[in-house]
Amino acid sequence: MPRRPNNSRQTRALLATLLDHPHTWRHGYDLAKETDLKSGTLYPLLMRLSEQGLLESCWQEAKRPGLPPRHAYRLTASGLALAREQELAAIAAERAGALA
Amino acid sequence: MSAVSGVYRRFAVKLAQHASWLLSGAQSPWAAAMRRELEYIDDDSAALRWALGCVAASYRARLADWLRFDARAWRRVATSAVMLLIGLTLLENAGGQTQPPRPRFDETVCDLPSVSPEVRPRLRCGTVSVPRDYENPSAGRFKLAVVIIKSEQQPSWPEPVVYINGGPGAPLTAYAAYQARTPYAPLRDLILVDQRGTGRSEPSICPDQERRLRDATFAIAATNTDEEMARRQAAYLACRDQAIGRGLDLKDFGTRVTVEDFESVRQALRVERWNVYGESYGTAVATTLVALHPNSVRSVVLDSIYPPDPVLPRSLIVSDAREAFFAHCARDKLCLTSFPDLAETYRDTLVRLDQNPLTVTLPPQMRHGEDRITITKSLFEVGLSNLLYDPNAYPALPRIIQSVHDGDAQGLAQELGTVLASQAAAAEAINRATQAAVECRDRPHFHGPLTVAASVLDRAQLYGVCDRWSEGGPPPLVPVGTRVPVLVLAGQFDPVTRPAASRHVAELIGGSARFVEFPLIGHNVRHFSACGTRIAADFIDHPAQTLDTSCTDRVAPIHFQPRHDTP
Repeated sequence: MPRRPNNSRQTRALLATLLDHPHTWRHGYDLAKETDLKSGTLYPLLMRLSEQGLLESCWQEAKRPGLPPRHAYRLTASGLALAREQELAAIAAERAGALA
Repeated sequence: MSAVSGVYRRFAVKLAQHASWLLSGAQSPWAAAMRRELEYIDDDSAALRWALGCVAASYRARLADWLRFDARAWRRVATSAVMLLIGLTLLENAGGQTQPPRPRFDETVCDLPSVSPEVRPRLRCGTVSVPRDYENPSAGRFKLAVVIIKSEQQPSWPEPVVYINGGPGAPLTAYAAYQARTPYAPLRDLILVDQRGTGRSEPSICPDQERRLRDATFAIAATNTDEEMARRQAAYLACRDQAIGRGLDLKDFGTRVTVEDFESVRQALRVERWNVYGESYGTAVATTLVALHPNSVRSVVLDSIYPPDPVLPRSLIVSDAREAFFAHCARDKLCLTSFPDLAETYRDTLVRLDQNPLTVTLPPQMRHGEDRITITKSLFEVGLSNLLYDPNAYPALPRIIQSVHDGDAQGLAQELGTVLASQAAAAEAINRATQAAVECRDRPHFHGPLTVAASVLDRAQLYGVCDRWSEGGPPPLVPVGTRVPVLVLAGQFDPVTRPAASRHVAELIGGSARFVEFPLIGHNVRHFSACGTRIAADFIDHPAQTLDTSCTDRVAPIHFQPRHDTP
């Protein structure tokens, strides 16, 4: 299956947010708030990145009793590489803009 | 939760379930992931928006399947479309509603005194904004200071402890360093709140008048004259006028309001249930909290109950405590030898002071302008009742009485420097305006007249203030028949509540309440008793288990100080 492009604005925002704390497991609602993405956009992205091996997920026990386990996400090594690559590209683009 | 927001939440859950139903097979963990996030979203409108997004996400994921046009898929499409339409309509309406904002904890820098470097990383400080008037949310808001002390052991146990301190009017968060050293249940986090109008919480009712209120109250203790009663009334009226001039409504105080403040803090901190520790006046807040919000309380400790009206006159309660102390002295060999008839010595001292007050040079730490204090009959009566609060003062108490009786100003000055200094510091910290604001709403008896025979212990309270301060409000409540486990701790010499009255409250609460009396303790059991500390901690961690209270039988005796040599 050909790899689908990961350079949409929403995907870049999500990768950049995950890159902020690359080793921390993050939750869906928190990611939605930080990236300003609606759940209807966020979850298809998470599913796609996961399918591409760029994202790993796990179930975490709730910190407070009475709440269900929660799905958590973080970048895999290849996800991390892609996110860094995109970050460098963004910095380069900004510099180019500044010099222009 | 309003009826409308309840509808949003229920519909959000339905939508999320529907989204799960749309996904299956390898995608089902994603459906569960989206659905479970809902439980972590506190705002009902946000939850509904989230659930709508979940349906949209599920659609996108299943689009390929649906394109196969099988009949079952089409039925799902039709159902989804209807549900989406209803959801969107509800959301549209949500925009027009004026929902009160959900309470939020706004974290700030911890700027607290005496915090050691070891404790500092365990503290989280912030504010929670609450409505001034819960029935009229548009009437403005107050910010309450909140401190969370994380347990030394992390992760801490769930269900933290909230400590509700006494007063009313006393600050709390400023003492976070002390609270961190003496946790209630060491494995749990501890939450401290400055009640509205105290410590670092808003509002300041009449900041310019506070000293005047304190001095006026002290003047009644010192002289007990009608002139001083009138002067105090004028001081409180000036405070009330200043408060009204500053836009405050004195009806926005009282235990029933304070209870809603605590409930707001609980919601802001996302605590599902907490263990409540009420002390002194804080027990009135604690019992009312259990009565009104039983589902958010896991257990409650009532340390030195301050029961709702009707209560006996303070002078009678103090007199009982004092006589119990004198009787104890008469049973103690050393005390009896040094002070053969302490009760009689006390009564004779009052007679002597009435004729000849005793002037004493104050130790430096107690000087506020004046370097001498005149011990009058009334001041002695008030001072002695205050000393009954504090077991640390008990060894010296007979000797203090004897010194005053003998006119031994020098001997008394030594005692003042040690035992009275801490009492004076505690009295200084109370915000008198907030105390009146709460008590005048809570306690109908302060709106009534004083009996002719009232002693200074009654007159120093808020009689003559409340009837012109604010009208009475809804009273504190006792959670009669509650299922929440309750532990009542009472001190033998408590000058605020007779142990029998505390026991009566425990009986009123019913089968879920246990009562423990502590010998040789006054007011605030846990503060002064290692045995009380342990029993309370055991109860908080295991409220359903049988309590081992045997340590109350092994209390160390009071090591009475012998009388001074004759001057």
